[in-house]
This record gives sequence, structure tokens and C-alpha cells, in this order.
Amino acid sequence: MPADIVVDALYKFFKKGRPGEVRAVDGVSFQIEKGELFGLLGPNGAGKTTLIKCISTLLIPDAGSIRVAGFDVNKDPLKVRQQIGVLTGGERSLYWKLTPIENLRYFAALYGVPRNQVKERIDYLLSLMELKDKAHTRVEKLSSGMKQKLSIARVLVHNPPILLVDEPTIGLDPYFAQFVRNFIKHELNQRLGKTILLTTHYMDEADALCDRVAFMNQGRIDALDTPTRLKRSIIKKEILEIKCLGELQKEEFPALENLLSLNITRLDGFTYIRMGTDNPERLLSRVIDFIQHRVKVYSVQVTSPSLEDVFVYLTGASLRQGGDDA
Amino acid sequence: MLKGLRIDVLIEEVRKSFLILLAYPIEIAFWIISPLLWVIPLVFQGRALIGGLTSSSFGKLAGTTEFIPYVLIGAIVSTYMFSAVWSMGNAFRDETYYGTLEHILSSPTPAVYILVGKGIYNSILSTLFVVVQLLICVFIFGLDITLAKILPIMAFLLLLIVGLYGIGFAAAALTMLIKESYGLLHLFEYILFLFSPIRYPVEVNPITRAISIFIPLTYALIALRGLLLGLKFDFWKNSIILLIIDAVIIPLGLFIFYKIEKRTKKTGTLAHY
Repeated sequence: MPADIVVDALYKFFKKGRPGEVRAVDGVSFQIEKGELFGLLGPNGAGKTTLIKCISTLLIPDAGSIRVAGFDVNKDPLKVRQQIGVLTGGERSLYWKLTPIENLRYFAALYGVPRNQVKERIDYLLSLMELKDKAHTRVEKLSSGMKQKLSIARVLVHNPPILLVDEPTIGLDPYFAQFVRNFIKHELNQRLGKTILLTTHYMDEADALCDRVAFMNQGRIDALDTPTRLKRSIIKKEILEIKCLGELQKEEFPALENLLSLNITRLDGFTYIRMGTDNPERLLSRVIDFIQHRVKVYSVQVTSPSLEDVFVYLTGASLRQGGDDA
Repeated sequence: MLKGLRIDVLIEEVRKSFLILLAYPIEIAFWIISPLLWVIPLVFQGRALIGGLTSSSFGKLAGTTEFIPYVLIGAIVSTYMFSAVWSMGNAFRDETYYGTLEHILSSPTPAVYILVGKGIYNSILSTLFVVVQLLICVFIFGLDITLAKILPIMAFLLLLIVGLYGIGFAAAALTMLIKESYGLLHLFEYILFLFSPIRYPVEVNPITRAISIFIPLTYALIALRGLLLGLKFDFWKNSIILLIIDAVIIPLGLFIFYKIEKRTKKTGTLAHY
């Protein structure tokens, strides 16, 4: 079966040849098979959004090629656009002064849905997204979750076989975030058979949803495999996690024996130090020696590596670093 | 260049724009009131300058002594001109504010069709505005509009509007490039005020007269003033010149638009503010 998305040796620079040149996509190649749910993971600024924009014809690459459903994005951009739907996180992808029906009718026209099928299609999508009772309410009066549901309906209005989904749960409360994840996996991918390219920096989201994932960092793909195999690649390692009160920077940490990777994050007032190691007991005594005068240790545990630990181990980068995504 | 243009896209673009306008009722009130307010300063201006509604010295240059109707017709025609350039020029900027620009540009509908839709919406809105302006001219200033004149008036307005879309494409493209285009569009507006006979006969100065022959608005104004004020003008000459200008300006506007659209897709500045 032919691949739905083929990216080959793709390069995209900003400010090319000028001071401050940014290599947003730096020689990326991968394929996404028909019906696959493929995750593109990386911190802000890794180049994920740039890559999605190249695939959706909003950016012209500097070198390399992209084929979507067999069409070249540079030679046949309009045919590519007929095959894709682009869903982004955040709320501003709809006309807030229009109702859901008015929004969908407009996008149905833009995406070439035959006029005699528009009403039926809109009815189906509003039912699917449980928005029938809000059909005539202005979008500005809907909750964030409902707006994201309507955005999904907008993306599906022309029933595209391929979906590009960029950070779909950003800004959503846990209930709607879970709804969106389930919908992407069970409805769009498994029931409707859509090919999906999902970008996210939530590793748990990718782990739960994706058939394969690619780790993207500084414009390059550092690893690509199934989540299970990626985690197995560091199976002999364990994760020593120390939860503590007080601030600690990654740069302050000395190079310790048995310390294979290090990720420090802050959540709800606590600092979490997650260390990949082949000997947690020995590492623990060394780490305690180092941190005991700096922070107050709250708890210590040894766990199996998560996808995020694999990412930190393989790329040396943290998912929560950087600024806006390139 | 506009191959495969679908009517439903244009209809939905116009419908969407009107629905958004209707969401702002106070804005509609402004639209209703403004033609009435627009006319008063022109009357006062005429009285202050020439002491009434007619002037023989003005007549030597303009071919009519009717100063106020002359200026009113200029203002009416320029309504189309400026609203088309402003609305098409800012069309994608508005979409950037809504957050929808990338979603409409990643649709299979070429961006230029969306601009045409926005242009049509604007022409409809301008026509409603102009109808009120014309009613004021007829009932207050006794402008003679018979049914026989309406068809040629509409033909000239159509020729003008088509050409304006070409300018609108270029204005939209330049806005994509430089983002904040208010200064540019104002400059364009002032240049037209200076070099086309909107407010005064360009014959007053040899430079304005020479430059005015390259501006489509000049020919539309000559024709419409000729029709409405009963002045002598060459119907076919003005029609053909407007047609030729349209034939040049539309492909030129599209060429500029496609070039700049491609450039912004290369630089990654398409959706920047």
C-alpha cells in the first residue's frame, strides 16, 4: 500500500543566508502509511509546525520534496489541499461572530463540497460532535471545548483522507482534552480510517495515541519508531525521580557516574528531577550528596522510562525548553 | 487566470461578510447615517468658496457651472474606488485577526477567489451607499436621473469596478508583504484625489491633467458627469479606454498578487501581523 505522506530530505530555513539564520527543518525524511496515526514530537521550536505548514502548502520548502496522497506539494498544491484537513490547537480558527452552521457552510464551499450535499454533511458533523443544540449559537458564546469540537467538524467538512493535527489539546481542560484524544484515536483513525499526522509536546498523548512517533529536535528527526520499541531501546535503564521543594537548574548539576540522562521540570510548586540510570541506588547517594543543601527532598521513586524519558535520553533536550515553535 | 472559479465560493464569501457586518449593529447605523453627513460639508464648502451652488469661473474649466453636483458625482464614484481598495487591501489582514487566514489559504480554493468574493461584497455595500447618495443628489440638488441614463451609468460603473479589482489584488498582495498598509493605502488615496478629477477639474494644472489620463477613475468620472450633468463627452472613447485599462490592470494585479503570495510562502511571513 502506498504511503499517504512522503517527506524526503526536506529543508526549510528562515532568514536564509542572513544573520540569525534559522534551520527550522534540517534534512528531514519519513513516510506515513495509509491509515497510520503518526506522532511528531518535540519541544517548542523543534520545527514541527514548520513541517506541518510545508505539508499543508502554506510554506514553500527550500529543498527536498513532499508528496501527499501521491501529489507533489509544489507542483499540485490545490490537489494536495483537497486531500488534507488541518486542525490546530487554540481557539482562533473559526469566525466567532458566526454560528456553527454558518461557519461550516462557509468552509464547505471553500473545500468544494457539492451544494446539494452541504446540509446533510453539516447535520452529520454537528451530530457527530454533539453540537446540534448549539447549531444556531454564535461561536463566541461556546466554551473552549465546544470551539475545538467545532474546529474538528470544520476539518472534516470535506471528508479528507489525511489529517494534519497540530497540538490539538492545547488550552483545553482535562475533560475536553481527553475527549479530543479519544475522538482522534477511535473515531478518526480507527473507525473512519483517516491517516493522521499529530504534532504534540505532550508525550503521554503521543504514547497513548500514536502507532509510530518521530522525535524532532532542532529541525532534525533524532529517532523514529513505535512508542513500545523506543521505550524498549532504553529498557535496561531505570528512572530515578526525586520530587523536591526548592529550585534547581539543569546547568548546576555535575556529571555524575551512572547518570545517563537528566530532566528537571517544575509542576505545582514542586521540582521533579528525573534521571535515567543503570544503577539507581548508587546514583541516588551521589545525587543526595549534591542536592541536600540546595533543596528539600519530598519523595524518591524508581520507575520505568516514559516516552518523555526516552526523548530526553536520545536527544539530550527537554520537552519543556525553548520558546514558540518554529 | 481565474480558471475553475466557483460561484458558491463567491456567494458564501459575500454571505459571511454580511453576517459578520450584521453582528455589529452600531456599525450599520454609521453606514446609514454617513451618506447624509457626507453631503453637508460639500454644500457648505461650495457656499463658502463660490457663494452659492454655481460658478461661472468653475464652468470655464469643468464645462459646467454646477459646482456641487460636480463634486458630489466625484465623491460618489470615489466611494467605489476607495472602498474596493481598502477592503481588498485589508481582506487578509482581517482574516489574520480572526485567526482564520491559514485555514482559508490551506483550502483548495485559490486565495484570489476569496478576494473576488470580498470585492463583490464591498461593491454591494458601496452600491447601497451610493444609492442613498444619489437620492440625496436627486431630491436636494435636482440631479436628473432618468431610466434611460441608468443603464449607461451602470455600464461605466461596472467597467470601473472590474478595474478596481485589479488594483485590489495588488493592494492585498502589498498588505501581505508589508503587513501594516494604512499608510500606503492613504497615500494611494491622496494621489488619486490629486491626479484625478474627483474634487476639481484636473485642467487647473498641466501636470495633474497629464497624469490623470493614466488613471481609470478619470474616464469613469468624465462619462458619469457627462451622463448626469448633460455634458459633452465621447461615450465610445471613454468606454474603450476603460476596457483597455481593465484588460491591463486585472492581469497585472493578479501577477503582483501571485508573486507576492509565493514570496511570503517562502519567507514564512504569510500569517504574520
